[in-house]
Amino acid sequence: MKEFALYAGCTTPVRLPAYEASVTKVLEKLGVKLIPMKDVNCCGAQYIESVSHTAFAAMSGRILAIAESMGRDILAICGACSGSLKIVKHELDNDEKLRAEVNALLEDEGLKYTGTVEVKHLLQVFREDIGYDAIKAAIVKPYNGVRLAAHYGCHVLRPPEIVHVDDPENPTIIDRIVEIAGGVAVDYTGKTRCCGGPMLGIDEELAGKIGTDKIDNIRAANVDGIITACGFCDIQLTQVQFGDGTEGKERIPVLQLTQFLGTALGIDAEALGISLNKISPEHILAMQ
Amino acid sequence: MDEAKTAANTHVPSSSFAKEIEAEPGGEDIAKCIQCGMCTASCMVASVTDKYRPRKLIQMILLGLREEVLSSDLPWLCMTCRMCEERCQEDVNLAEIFHAVREIAAREGHIPPAFKNAIDVVLKDGWMLEDAYSDFIEDDRDDLGLDTELSWNKKFVAKLKKKYFKGESTK
Ligand code: SF4
Ligand code: SF4
Ligand code: SF4
Repeated sequence: MKEFALYAGCTTPVRLPAYEASVTKVLEKLGVKLIPMKDVNCCGAQYIESVSHTAFAAMSGRILAIAESMGRDILAICGACSGSLKIVKHELDNDEKLRAEVNALLEDEGLKYTGTVEVKHLLQVFREDIGYDAIKAAIVKPYNGVRLAAHYGCHVLRPPEIVHVDDPENPTIIDRIVEIAGGVAVDYTGKTRCCGGPMLGIDEELAGKIGTDKIDNIRAANVDGIITACGFCDIQLTQVQFGDGTEGKERIPVLQLTQFLGTALGIDAEALGISLNKISPEHILAMQ
Repeated sequence: MDEAKTAANTHVPSSSFAKEIEAEPGGEDIAKCIQCGMCTASCMVASVTDKYRPRKLIQMILLGLREEVLSSDLPWLCMTCRMCEERCQEDVNLAEIFHAVREIAAREGHIPPAFKNAIDVVLKDGWMLEDAYSDFIEDDRDDLGLDTELSWNKKFVAKLKKKYFKGESTK
């Protein structure tokens, strides 16, 4: 069984534990075991990253070094975390001075960054480590034509020359998995645009407008639900549907890719935390 | 201001501020910008608010409007979504340039309050959501078969705080 060190990040364990649980259960079903990382710190995305690039590199660098000490590649499930860890890995691999500075900070803990571990986002593990054929073979409860819009997440896809997840202008991994599980992957305007999540901590009104624009575009495509592969995006696309001006509008359920796939693999909805979803995806599950 | 005028008049977009940005990690490519506006056209922030125009921000840097840029909240509105970078024909890394601007602004004491608070929290707790982690959520985690002990490391950020944030970002 292939094993990864799981870096769950700050947001998912607290705001979206169902995502963490569904990832763990779905991957286990597909032959990938996750070992939760202990004694880690925030990757430093956005906030520390904005004010001290060196401190940011040290924070993500420490996470990479801990994975090295575990002898495991990292699986990151939040777009911001996977992006940070990959960018910092790229920098540490190419900038000796930065690597020396980070390693000096890690020394007294007995940690060292040497560059031996890979960082993968969940979508890569599906495509590269498990493969579409194995996913297909494991489906026991397929969907029957449910129409779903994929939202990939900016930090999952970009910058493509560093993250290497999918085509940044025309991503396909989520869509393929939706189809493999018996759904219909529906295209919509602005598919690769941001959900507005990173704006939440700075200007809620603008974040709301950006998220609402995304929801409106998805709504126009007439879908049964939205599928995400990032905790932050899931939270944002859900909560903008409860903000000002949403009264009377039908809410579109947001499902994590692993919740959607999990039920098709025969995993119990309760174990995937589906009852915790703020917009009930009942009609999606009824199409199985 | 004189510098800005000269630069504008001679159409040579290379102020000393642009040079300063060029010297920061991530700021290297700023001089490649040809001011085509593709970034603004692809930016979701620009599409929801008139005040934010990434092309214009780059132009202000090229023209050397140092104080105006550093004291403004605008460089902090970029979501680092990199849609503009994907579309820019000149390979200008706008998100990185705005990070370089933020880093200089932070050194000179201009950090918007929302950022300052989040930075203080991370440097104190080692992560973002210690205060939000309630008993209620602990129960949810327990029901889902997840660890309820989140075990975040605080010591390392304390070390970073001492070394890289000598008082300026902390209360
Ligand atoms: S990117 Fe976000 S979720 Fe990931 S560790 Fe940093 S603050 Fe937490
Ligand atoms: S798209 Fe690139 S070249 Fe065009 S204005 Fe923006 S940064 Fe400059
Ligand atoms: S990276 Fe920043 S400037 Fe570029 S499109 Fe995204 S929010 Fe706009």
